[in-house]
Amino acid sequence: MEGLFFNVNGGYVEGIVRGYRNCLLSGQNYSNLTQCETIDDVKLQLAPAYGDFLASLPPNPSTSALAGRMTDKLVSEFRYLIAQATGSTAKFLEYLTYGYMIDNIALLITGTLHERDTRELLERCHPLGWFETLPVLCVATNIEELYNSVLIETPLAPYFKGSLSHQDLDELNIEIVRNTLYKNYLEDFYNFISTHPDFAGTPTQEVMTEILQFEADRRAINITLNSFGTELSKLERRKLYPEFGKLYPEGSLMLSRAEDVEGVALAVSAVGDYKAFFDAVGLSQGGGGGLGGMGGGPADGKSLEDLFYQKEMEMSKLVFTRQFTPAVVYAWMKLKEQEIRNVTWIAECIAQNQKERIGNFISVF
Amino acid sequence: MSGAGPREAVFPTRQSLGLMKSKLKGAEIGHSLLKRKSEALTKRFRDITRRIDEAKQKMGRVMQIAAFSLAEVSYAVGGDIGYQIQESAKQARFRVRSKHENVSGVFLPQFESYTKEGVNDFGLTGLGKGGQQIQRCRETYARAVETLVELASLQTAFLVLDEVIKVVNRRVNAIEHVIIPRTENTIKYINSELDELDREEFYRLKKVSNKKQRDTAAADAEILAARQRQAEKDKENGGAAEEPDSVDVLGEQEDTDVIF
Repeated sequence: MEGLFFNVNGGYVEGIVRGYRNCLLSGQNYSNLTQCETIDDVKLQLAPAYGDFLASLPPNPSTSALAGRMTDKLVSEFRYLIAQATGSTAKFLEYLTYGYMIDNIALLITGTLHERDTRELLERCHPLGWFETLPVLCVATNIEELYNSVLIETPLAPYFKGSLSHQDLDELNIEIVRNTLYKNYLEDFYNFISTHPDFAGTPTQEVMTEILQFEADRRAINITLNSFGTELSKLERRKLYPEFGKLYPEGSLMLSRAEDVEGVALAVSAVGDYKAFFDAVGLSQGGGGGLGGMGGGPADGKSLEDLFYQKEMEMSKLVFTRQFTPAVVYAWMKLKEQEIRNVTWIAECIAQNQKERIGNFISVF
Repeated sequence: MSGAGPREAVFPTRQSLGLMKSKLKGAEIGHSLLKRKSEALTKRFRDITRRIDEAKQKMGRVMQIAAFSLAEVSYAVGGDIGYQIQESAKQARFRVRSKHENVSGVFLPQFESYTKEGVNDFGLTGLGKGGQQIQRCRETYARAVETLVELASLQTAFLVLDEVIKVVNRRVNAIEHVIIPRTENTIKYINSELDELDREEFYRLKKVSNKKQRDTAAADAEILAARQRQAEKDKENGGAAEEPDSVDVLGEQEDTDVIF
């Protein structure tokens, strides 16, 4: 049924995104990129996909400049999509930008707390998280004013409401604020997908539920792992776990009680995928040595985070097998972001002459 | 002899000769001491140079690793976290204290790094993702800064030592090539002047005694002649004349002073 009228409103957007998807770099492109000797070569290899966005870069640009231009392309393409979208599709696309808004607001709150010139912070904001009232945040000079009169005007106001007071903004670590917001955002997004009449019972709900559950679980696991050895208490930690996902509620409860890596491994062992990840990086055997990232102990050079990214990319790739759903936009954005990270990684490896680790990117096509 | 080479402006007296001799001795002792100091410093200097070389190579490696771990962070976090880190860092965790080390009388500043435990300002950064990479990156950079501090300490010591060695060497050379030859020259000069004075004196004495002998001879001849004349007169007078006044040697008359 949903396929019957979807194309009336969402057909164009979906078609465009499928076109964009074909621009994503393939394994062949990546293997060409890894052969490059200089950043200029990388630029040349990227020319078919990124074209004029890279043209204005000076010779041998810095990797961050390169990443900046690639992000610019993503942003301009997304803006085109959101301009074309109508109705529930537009609402869905707006939800995608909220994640970036949270980052931007966290940035501005940090700036306000330290009484920085917030105007220069605006330049640092992620363009996708831009909303009309964002510059207004700069008007606020203290945190109470920011909370009472400015934040209420932003699309994120519901996420603040009920979970954060203005004293919290002042006292809590900004990372906790950010993660609380993100948790509320994920729950709201999940709720939107499951209850909106246009999405409930459609492929959109099916794929997005899976993806968002994965995202929620990933955040919960990451927060737990990263909070070891910090002043974050277990009670506070528990509040940051999104209240849905495959781990919720039993796994979340166990996560909130976990005191070390083994505890986390035990908590996630109920879910096959995550158990496989922990087994792969050797954390469940209680090494703890391979905990830290990509350079750590794991034999195949993959860290837990790499495996999560890998899984996310595979899920995003599978989304393109579905039709009549705006979820492809989400998948495309995730794939594109990963691509930017991949290219930045490759460029860094080339720039720093660390070729042995250059293959440590995630390519699914 | 005395005009060859520079010498100090002294009067050639025995006193200044003694002064010069003690000065020469002092200069020689000082020279050997300074020479030894310079050798000790040079040894230390070479040691530091070698360690600087090692530290620089180590720094190259460590900085490379550190820069790469930053790349890992940007890969894991997928964005720029620089601003957050800057804003959340309030207290220095990694600190440096300086102290002095005494190498043959030269104070070399030394920097010593230490980490203040319990200061972890951005421990929660990257809570959602990439936190482990951030912490690891921080540790890598802490090690890099440690190497930098070590290098800075060595470089400062290097500069200070370089300056001191130059000064000491200049002194050693000055003593060896200026002060000692000049003092020696002065001593030679004084010696030669004193010798000359001696010779002059000797010659003068000889001259004086020559003159004296001649004068005495003349006086003797005169007396002799006077006696002969007297004798002839006596003969003429037929011995009627009274005894002539002989010169009373032991009398009241004084001898003329002998002047040397």
